[in-house]
Amino acid sequence: MSAHESRRRIGVFIVFPLLVLLLGLLGGNLLRELRDLSTAEVDNLQWTILQVETEIANLSATLSDAVAAPESDADAVRLRADIALSRLLIVGRGEALDLLRGGADDLLTRIETYQSDMVAVLDADTELSQDDIARLRALTKSIRPDIRELVLLGLEAGTRRASERRAEFSRQLAITGAIAIAVILGLSAVLVFLDRLLVRADKRDAELLNSSSRLTSTVAASLDAIVTANESGEIVEFNASAERIFGWSRDEILGRKMDDTIIPHHHRAAHAAGMERYLATHEPHVVDAGRVELSALRRSGEEFPVELNITSVKSADGELFIAYLRDISQRKINEQKLIDARDKAESMDRAKSQFLAVMSHEMRTPLNGILGVLDLMQQTRLTKQQHRYVQVASASGEILLEHVNEAVDITRIEMGSMQLSTHPFEMRTVVEGVVDVLKPLAREKDLTLTLEFDASMDRSFDGDGTRLGQILTNLIGNAIKFTDAGGIEISLSGIHGPDATSMSLVVSDTGRGIPNDRLEDVFEDFVALSHSEGRQSRGDGLGLSISRKVARLMGGDLTVQSTLGEGSIFTFNVPLLRAQVSADETPYKRAERPQKQSDEKCHVLIVEDNAINRSVLRDMLERLGHTVDDAEDGLQGLRKAKSRAFDLIIMDVSMPVMDGTEAARRIRAESGPNKSTRIIGLTAHGREEYRDRALKAGMDGFFTKPIRFSALREVLSFETPSRENIADLDDEVLNDLLEVLGPERAKKTADTFFTDTEAQLMMLTANEHDSAAVLHKMRGGAALIGLASVVAQIDEIGKDIPNDSSIEALRTVLKDSQENLLKRFQRHIQAD
Amino acid sequence: MFRSALLASFVCLAMTTPPVYAQDPTSLQVSAQGETSVSLTLAELDNLDQVSITTTTIWTEGEITFTGPALSSVLEAAEIKASHLALTALNDYAIEMPAPDIGADYPIIATRMDGKPMSVRDKGPFWIVFPYDSDDAFQSEEVFAQSIWQLDRIEALDY
Repeated sequence: MSAHESRRRIGVFIVFPLLVLLLGLLGGNLLRELRDLSTAEVDNLQWTILQVETEIANLSATLSDAVAAPESDADAVRLRADIALSRLLIVGRGEALDLLRGGADDLLTRIETYQSDMVAVLDADTELSQDDIARLRALTKSIRPDIRELVLLGLEAGTRRASERRAEFSRQLAITGAIAIAVILGLSAVLVFLDRLLVRADKRDAELLNSSSRLTSTVAASLDAIVTANESGEIVEFNASAERIFGWSRDEILGRKMDDTIIPHHHRAAHAAGMERYLATHEPHVVDAGRVELSALRRSGEEFPVELNITSVKSADGELFIAYLRDISQRKINEQKLIDARDKAESMDRAKSQFLAVMSHEMRTPLNGILGVLDLMQQTRLTKQQHRYVQVASASGEILLEHVNEAVDITRIEMGSMQLSTHPFEMRTVVEGVVDVLKPLAREKDLTLTLEFDASMDRSFDGDGTRLGQILTNLIGNAIKFTDAGGIEISLSGIHGPDATSMSLVVSDTGRGIPNDRLEDVFEDFVALSHSEGRQSRGDGLGLSISRKVARLMGGDLTVQSTLGEGSIFTFNVPLLRAQVSADETPYKRAERPQKQSDEKCHVLIVEDNAINRSVLRDMLERLGHTVDDAEDGLQGLRKAKSRAFDLIIMDVSMPVMDGTEAARRIRAESGPNKSTRIIGLTAHGREEYRDRALKAGMDGFFTKPIRFSALREVLSFETPSRENIADLDDEVLNDLLEVLGPERAKKTADTFFTDTEAQLMMLTANEHDSAAVLHKMRGGAALIGLASVVAQIDEIGKDIPNDSSIEALRTVLKDSQENLLKRFQRHIQAD
Repeated sequence: MFRSALLASFVCLAMTTPPVYAQDPTSLQVSAQGETSVSLTLAELDNLDQVSITTTTIWTEGEITFTGPALSSVLEAAEIKASHLALTALNDYAIEMPAPDIGADYPIIATRMDGKPMSVRDKGPFWIVFPYDSDDAFQSEEVFAQSIWQLDRIEALDY
């Protein structure tokens, strides 16, 4: 725009001098013409020529008089003649000649002859005689026609020249007129152009005025303070909001420096340096940098935070800086309040978790003692009433232990310290295990419990099978608890990807259901919907909450749908990696160990740092008739293990000085007397992630504290096949069975199972039926009555096509289990 | 212009028709209005301050130096003060010259052309000459008309 403008201005400056020059030329032309008109040589020549005729006529008249009167004055004649001759002389030279030349040569010659003839007579030394006069008269008379012709020629030439001159003058006039018209046109164009410029300037002025007034009202109405300063930092504009925010009135502050007014003292040096740098380099730092937060100074001396945006504009007086400031002190205060509140809440929450963790842990140790002692007490002679009291105390202790464990789980999940262990597990084993355990509970309430197990899921997966089992237990347990009639259906299916399977486990019941608005509440900590009904709510406070958290930790989720009065459907989805090979899970190759009969007395080493646990465990073992040696930490245990051979070492995993895994690893590595002794690890609840480490270190089994009588007995039976933790008989199932049916009916159930099995084994050997279906049925029955070793053996066979040797192995296991089971039942029957 | 020139020529023709005074081509007659004239001879004119004008004229060829007393000094010598002068030639050509047209050193009453006295035949003996080449103002018809040659007498007129 400015280039255009200046080009236009240059145009105007060029056009005007041109016009002036043109006018000058025009004026010069006219002046010259005027001068030409005022010089009159030609006119004068015409006059001169005319005079010739006059003088010749005068001479002629004088000569005639002189001839008529001979006494007349000869001098007068001479004078007249001289005058006439002087006129002729003029014609014969100069411009007069130029005028006449061409076509008049003869005439001029005759006139010259006349002149010389006249001069010859006049210049004779004698007085003019009458004859002389007569001769002069004759000469003059004869020349008069020629003179007449000369005059006519002169007039004609003059006229011609005059008309030439007229033409020239017309031409000049035409040129002048043309120039005048051109000038007028040019001037008109300039006028039009100027008019347009004027109109445009007017319009621009109006627009400028308009936008300026709009701007002024915008600036005035702005909620942000708008402060404009020049290059030397003087404030040149200060709007109403600025007045309100800073406490300065506009009139007071205009012309004062920002440094002396609105910039806090400790920023002034930096501001001055920044301005200097900017003016020197023009590299913006704060200017045009978008919104920045700084502090500003009120007139009262109070410093306050502002959000600031500075732009710069070029003006005629140098650069102007426009700062838009917003007082954000209230916002800052609110922010700080929020941060404080959050910090407080967080620290309180942490304190709560910490407290819970500490409390739970601290409670578990004495609880272990109580439960252990109660177990021991049950082994002593008690009256029936005492026995019932101990059982109540034991059951209550168990509930308490579960609550504590759940609290530990919650805090561990919340603090992010829960880790999932990953190792291969058989899906069917885990699921059916849980279902089998809970079946008696369902039967107790006359509920059906059905499992629909998709065949594609009957395989090994890499994952935390234990946690998965816990979630399932929780879901089924809840379903049984809240269902009064009907049944519970469990369905397990999966969608199979290349390496992973998305497992979907659905537990649906026909219970009372959950109100829609409380669906999500069941997953909250410490929420139990049934409390209002006064039912004892064992474990349902945290169970679903933990289950969902664990499910999510595993990358899955736990959701619920429910229709009030019809039932609830819990869905547990989780992605699982499929195990590639079901190879030996432990790198340690177990050596063949001397098998001991369960009745034989053993020598056991207990390595445990907690004195109570140590003493309870010792009492339990001695109660069972075994001899016990103990150690307080791994190093001590290692030393004792070197001194003599033990039949069993029970080792706490985490201990001071040297932990259990390290001790086990060393016992296995050193060729001491206990190189091949069974080592069973013990761990606190929630430390199951130690399992992998423990097994790799060479431990044979792994139990979660507190170890109970039943588990201890199982460990000491030495009959666990290849799988740790799965004893010959599943005590929990068995106990439930005994509790529900009583020893007599339980025995009958078992007998039926073994009879059926005999027939099924025949089928397998005859290969008459689908072996998988037969094995599946047999497995279900075995699980029901707690024949863990049988279940394990069937699973082993199921991996391959059954052959004679594997069937024979199964037959052996069955036989052993049957004997054990009978013994157990016998004991209970006798006890009753 | 042409018309006026023609007109002037006719006027002159009419004026010059009657021969009036006795004429002496060797002296210049100067007179105040209605008074008897004073006759100035060439020698008397030569005694006045001489002024030379070198110029071309439309009546002659080439540059010529004219010499003679300034008209103003002649009038001064004759003790004449007037608003107009009537100048008359030997052929009775007459013209009026307003006093303001007379400068201090122009016109001159030329008595010499290139140092030589002028005969009647050479437009002498007395010729009113302006410095034509020095200024365009002296190139006007009016000035040419005032440039009387064969000057015979000067009569002062006071209106």
